Amino acid sequence: MQFLDLTIRELHNELVKKTVTPLDLVKEAILRAKADNNNAFEYIMEKEAVEMALKLKEPEVDNLFWGIPFAIKDNFSTKDIVTTASSNILAGYVPVFDATVVKKLLDAKAIPIAKTTLDELAMGGSGTTGHLGTTFNPYDKQHEHLIGGSSCGSASSVAASVVPFALGSDTGDSVRKPASYAGLVGFKPTWGRISRLGLFPFATSLDHVGYFTRSVYDAAHLLNLLAGRDVEDATSSDIPVDDYAKLLNTDIKGVKIAIIKEIVDSIYDKSINAAFQKTIASLKIRGAKVEYVSIDRKLLGALFPTYVVISCAEATSNNANLDGIKFGPYQAGKTYEEVMSKARTKGFSELIKRRFVIGSFCLMRENQDVLFLRAQKVRRMIVDKVNDIFKDYDAIFLPASPTPAPKLGEASDRLSDEYLIADNHMVIGNFGGFPSITLPLGFKGKLPFGGNLTAKPFNEAKLLQIANVIEDITGFYNLSVRTAKL
Amino acid sequence: MNFEAVIGLEIHVEMKTRSKMFSSAPVEFGAEPNTLVSPNDIAFPGTMPTVNKQAVINAIRVANALHMSIDNTLVFDRKNYFYSDLPKGYQITQNRRPIGSEGYLEIKTDSVHRIAIERLHLEEDTCKQLHFSEYTLLDYNRSGVPLIEIVSKPDIRTGEEAMKYVEAIRSIVIYADVSDGKMEEGSLRCDVNISLRPSGAEKLGTKVEIKNLNSIANIQKAIDFEIRRQEGLLLTGHPIIQETRRFDETLKETVTMRVKTDAVDYKYFIEPNITPIKLSPDFINAAISSCPELAQVKEKRYLEVQGLNERDASIILQSKDLSKYYDDAAKYTTYYKSLANWVTGEVIAYLNKRNIPIENFFISPAQLATLVNMIEKNEISNKQGRDIFQEMLTNSTNVKEAKEKLNIGTQINDDSVILAYVNEVLNAFPDSIKDYKDGKDRALGFLVGQVMKRSQGKVNPGLTSKLLLEELKKR
Repeated sequence: MQFLDLTIRELHNELVKKTVTPLDLVKEAILRAKADNNNAFEYIMEKEAVEMALKLKEPEVDNLFWGIPFAIKDNFSTKDIVTTASSNILAGYVPVFDATVVKKLLDAKAIPIAKTTLDELAMGGSGTTGHLGTTFNPYDKQHEHLIGGSSCGSASSVAASVVPFALGSDTGDSVRKPASYAGLVGFKPTWGRISRLGLFPFATSLDHVGYFTRSVYDAAHLLNLLAGRDVEDATSSDIPVDDYAKLLNTDIKGVKIAIIKEIVDSIYDKSINAAFQKTIASLKIRGAKVEYVSIDRKLLGALFPTYVVISCAEATSNNANLDGIKFGPYQAGKTYEEVMSKARTKGFSELIKRRFVIGSFCLMRENQDVLFLRAQKVRRMIVDKVNDIFKDYDAIFLPASPTPAPKLGEASDRLSDEYLIADNHMVIGNFGGFPSITLPLGFKGKLPFGGNLTAKPFNEAKLLQIANVIEDITGFYNLSVRTAKL
Repeated sequence: MNFEAVIGLEIHVEMKTRSKMFSSAPVEFGAEPNTLVSPNDIAFPGTMPTVNKQAVINAIRVANALHMSIDNTLVFDRKNYFYSDLPKGYQITQNRRPIGSEGYLEIKTDSVHRIAIERLHLEEDTCKQLHFSEYTLLDYNRSGVPLIEIVSKPDIRTGEEAMKYVEAIRSIVIYADVSDGKMEEGSLRCDVNISLRPSGAEKLGTKVEIKNLNSIANIQKAIDFEIRRQEGLLLTGHPIIQETRRFDETLKETVTMRVKTDAVDYKYFIEPNITPIKLSPDFINAAISSCPELAQVKEKRYLEVQGLNERDASIILQSKDLSKYYDDAAKYTTYYKSLANWVTGEVIAYLNKRNIPIENFFISPAQLATLVNMIEKNEISNKQGRDIFQEMLTNSTNVKEAKEKLNIGTQINDDSVILAYVNEVLNAFPDSIKDYKDGKDRALGFLVGQVMKRSQGKVNPGLTSKLLLEELKKR
């Protein structure tokens, strides 16, 4: 039985035909999760998943998610299931409520089988900083390469076909970058399209719920399920939700796609450039109009520092609730200061503390103007510039990363254009809250790499249509370690 | 040397909304600890704030009563600091754009003073700490309770002015149905900033903060004491130390709580979980026009429309519930002065004697109004009215039943009927006529009594006396 090599669409067909039951799928997923050696899981929900699967008897023909196993990044609140965000400060924390997205999936009778690892508190892009250590890339059996983060465990488990989809979160590119390194579809819609209630906040104004699938079709259906207003998330939008799945097979004749020249110019990897150009040529054949546009290099060079200032500032405030008093390991002390500072000193890794120090510094009265508020202004300038592009174009298409998954411990030159511009451009999607999707473009040796499409806010339907065509062009439908022809 | 006190007040008003400022947990005073708590109020990861609409309406009403300009956009900020009573590690408040700004309040001492008000903003309360020698307990029932903070300009000069100012604000929030305004329960809290300077000087002296004032009387006492204390120090050449003090009720003195060091940097920034909310003119106007009548407006109505005297009006307005009782009764009568007499007299006397609140008074406003109407229309005498009232209190009956029980008929006001009784009596008691003519005033009383007796107490006593006197003159 290798049912879990399939995508949600095919699994659904098998479930409806009753060639397989939810219980079979759960058992297979648990088996695979337990056999997995990529350190992708915080907690495998064996008992809970089996219990739930046992209750599912009659397949729901119109419900694509009925009986489908999935994984949840461990920074989503899951009722009665320990949730640590891969940080010691939350060791043993058992939430009392389900995140809205988890609730929607449970209501659709999808079956969560595991909580997955992440960079501690979702702060990081390498997949190496969680309290369980490095999460590995299933495409690299020698465990020499990163999978990327922060949604490392979710990416790893979908790429390894433990589950056909997994929830992630994306504050800089935390879904879309690991998707590139793991050959997956990684998608986050517009800020406000999916409720964030129950997602542990990192940087509120940049945080998005996102997810990994192995096809654009699955991604579109998942958006149908998860999108929509949530009265408990005041930032969630009441703009009507489209039927993204139904709109998926619209042709892209006349669609206008922009390529940002300065970003492509900062990428030197020949395999990536070749695959990217090949895809552009095919898009043109399919009737899309693809053109180069320009953004000032200085503005692009400001992406990363702007991101650091805003994300660290918001993070220091968002994580101020973690003091060991209400939940998480309590450290005794004579004063409240001692109690809190002991808990935080012990509970956070040095990398996290570094971010808090940076964030606090940027928010200090004497620094706010030149750091935090200036970063907000730069963010606004970048978003305005990108919105200008969206006046003339339906989407922006770029390589998702300048290289395939880098080697662990490989240092990049943090002042190079390759790093500042090519490795961090996807944060534009977070600055503007734009819907943005990564999907596989090609391989360099055994390692996959992806392309990224971004569209204007609430234009998910168009974005997914173009992505669907690209998937058709590349042929990377249902790509995983088990299906890849390497 | 004469000194002038420069005083500014910060007032926190806990609102009695149904739910909390940013969560759906209920708001209630005195519930079992940690029973009114949602995940938000403990700051569980992933919880998010949603704005309580009624709290916004309340803030608009109070801001309007304080003649403030009302911002057309609702914006919240985070105030970041670590403290054990602050579950999120920040408080959601309004820093850059308070909902109300630049208002004033007029208070009357020996003259009328206008106290300028800088700002009014919405925020959430912290949790309640109960300190013991070895540990501290935390009650999250209070965590997230909606607050409005009202910050005055340093326009107050005396303890009496401060007291009047707080009284006026307390009356507004109570009458606007925003808060129960109970200082002793902490639903209205007042912090005082006070400094002294030589009269006529421009430069401000060193500021001292007084916290934890739990009654309006104590505000005045604390300020009066603090002025004397600072005067004493200044006159003997001692510096004022910048510090936070509290009022010790037994000592009747302010005592040091903590000496202020550098001002805390709260690292304010805009609350990213609440995108700015537009407040339409319609929404603001509806909030204002639907505001329950404030005491000041009621007073004007009592004096100018209903013709009450100042004493009665002020007694009725001392309690919102009493004024509600009065207003409800006034719907059933136009004899407002008489009604006010009854409310401030018989009713209050009874309530005080039995120590029961007006909400629990079992004679309904309509019943009291009926009684007042009967007296004013001379259907019964004042004395009979009081008897009926007593009967209603004793046996919990209504006016009609009490009147029947006491066998009180409708009063006779017909001159010809009364005259018949008068002549009957005068014919029967010629000696009394003689006594009267001889100047014995008692005789008149006796004759009135006889008329009463024959009419079974039904004749109008005033009319009877008048007719008797007229008839006596004729004989």
